[in-house]
Amino acid sequence: MNYAELAATLHHVGDRLSKHAGKIEGESMGQSARVLLTHLSKFEALLDGYIASRKSGELLLETLLRSPAAKRHLTIDLLRAGLRHLTGKRLRSTDLRAAKREFVERIHEAGSQDEATEFLQDAFAESIHVDSVGKDKASLQREFVGLGRLAEEEFAQEIQRKSLGELRRLAETNGIRFTDKTTKQRLAALVRRYAQRAVLNIWAPT
Amino acid sequence: MSSKVLAFINFKGGVGKTATVVNIGATLAKLHEKKVLIVDIDPQSNSSVWLMRPDRWREHVTGGRKSTFQIYDDALHGKNRFNFEEALIKGVVTWTGFTDLPRLHLLPAAVELLRIEDRIHELRDSAVYRVLDAALGAYFKEYDYVLLDCPPNLYSTTRGAIFSADSCVVPYVPDYLSLSGFQVLAEEILAMREKFAPHLPARRKPNIGAVVVSHYRQSGNVYRLAVNELELSIAQLQRTGLLSRQTAILEPYIRHCVRVAESTNEHLPVILYAPGSIGAQDYCDLAQGFLNHFENKK
Repeated sequence: MNYAELAATLHHVGDRLSKHAGKIEGESMGQSARVLLTHLSKFEALLDGYIASRKSGELLLETLLRSPAAKRHLTIDLLRAGLRHLTGKRLRSTDLRAAKREFVERIHEAGSQDEATEFLQDAFAESIHVDSVGKDKASLQREFVGLGRLAEEEFAQEIQRKSLGELRRLAETNGIRFTDKTTKQRLAALVRRYAQRAVLNIWAPT
Repeated sequence: MSSKVLAFINFKGGVGKTATVVNIGATLAKLHEKKVLIVDIDPQSNSSVWLMRPDRWREHVTGGRKSTFQIYDDALHGKNRFNFEEALIKGVVTWTGFTDLPRLHLLPAAVELLRIEDRIHELRDSAVYRVLDAALGAYFKEYDYVLLDCPPNLYSTTRGAIFSADSCVVPYVPDYLSLSGFQVLAEEILAMREKFAPHLPARRKPNIGAVVVSHYRQSGNVYRLAVNELELSIAQLQRTGLLSRQTAILEPYIRHCVRVAESTNEHLPVILYAPGSIGAQDYCDLAQGFLNHFENKK
């Protein structure tokens, strides 16, 4: 059921009730009406709160603070910076859960819900932002493919010219894992194997 | 409203097309207050039954009338029985029995699509491509994002979706089978660009806008190397003009998460079913990356 259907049902019941209100009697009807009224009052209070928080932007702010993105990216430092930026005030809480509550309260007092939402959205966007493939990465990837096309002797000569640091950077950029203990010889063998594989696997214009 | 229509395509199955459509759509609607329409044109109806309980879905699409099947059936029989408002599902029903995500709308598919898929080819070439656009183009304007969930093939319905879309998104599993398919896909899209050109406005050219990597595992070398080969391949395809410079691999990569699989049984997007799971977190970040890319925010 959706809320439009609930509204239609309430309308329908309300219409019938008002038509027959003067004729209704008996304990079971009275009891049932009392239960309905209690639940309706609770529902109306919730609905009022919901509408108000939606209107003020607080709902989206709270949704963001509880979101999976917040779980990964939200820190007390971020809330502290946000509160200072938006209201000029200092965040007093020292644990994240309390800090979230305090943040919402202070933002509510300042009436800056929309700005706070934007601040958090920008901060979350920033924290997942990855630089586009830089020139450095692109050139190391091209070099990797170039190495994959070399004959064994040419490859060995190229590797000899490289320091271990350069070879590590080349391997790292092209997805090859190694440890501090991996020797230059071992790393060169890994680069050779995976560079040749890349040449085979990537599309070659015909 | 300036809408963005995106076709999620890959003729390889099991690459996470539906998971990407459903979960990005839900996250855009919930956390970014975007109005999103998911159009299911896959006869398997996976995004429909992910977002609807099977009994409700079956009841809704009985006979195919209130589903995307009707759009194609109308085109085949020269009729006009499809009614967008009647077919539309607004929001998803949670365990409370009430709807959530009111900004997420779904145009469900019906398995009847299977029965007519081969007959759709009988239509004239340009008519085939226009079917979806002609039936839904006017409604697309009411949404921020329209996500077209395509079947795992490049037959007429998928081509029609590519024709209707501003851009394509390719869900991708990091292995060689996906990589070889991706390269063929890029060539096919280029061929479609030439074929569609006389029928499309100049600004709308079929293209691969983004690649989404799913089923990723961080341990070991395997997936890092496979993604590197995808990057190398994209760079190569860009150099040869098969892909535009704007084609990007969106990050983060979606890691394997059992809660996402489980959420299909609950008929909810993972952001509602298990908001604390890594799957929900990955899709949240991916939706942000998606906005950054398609709205040129960063």
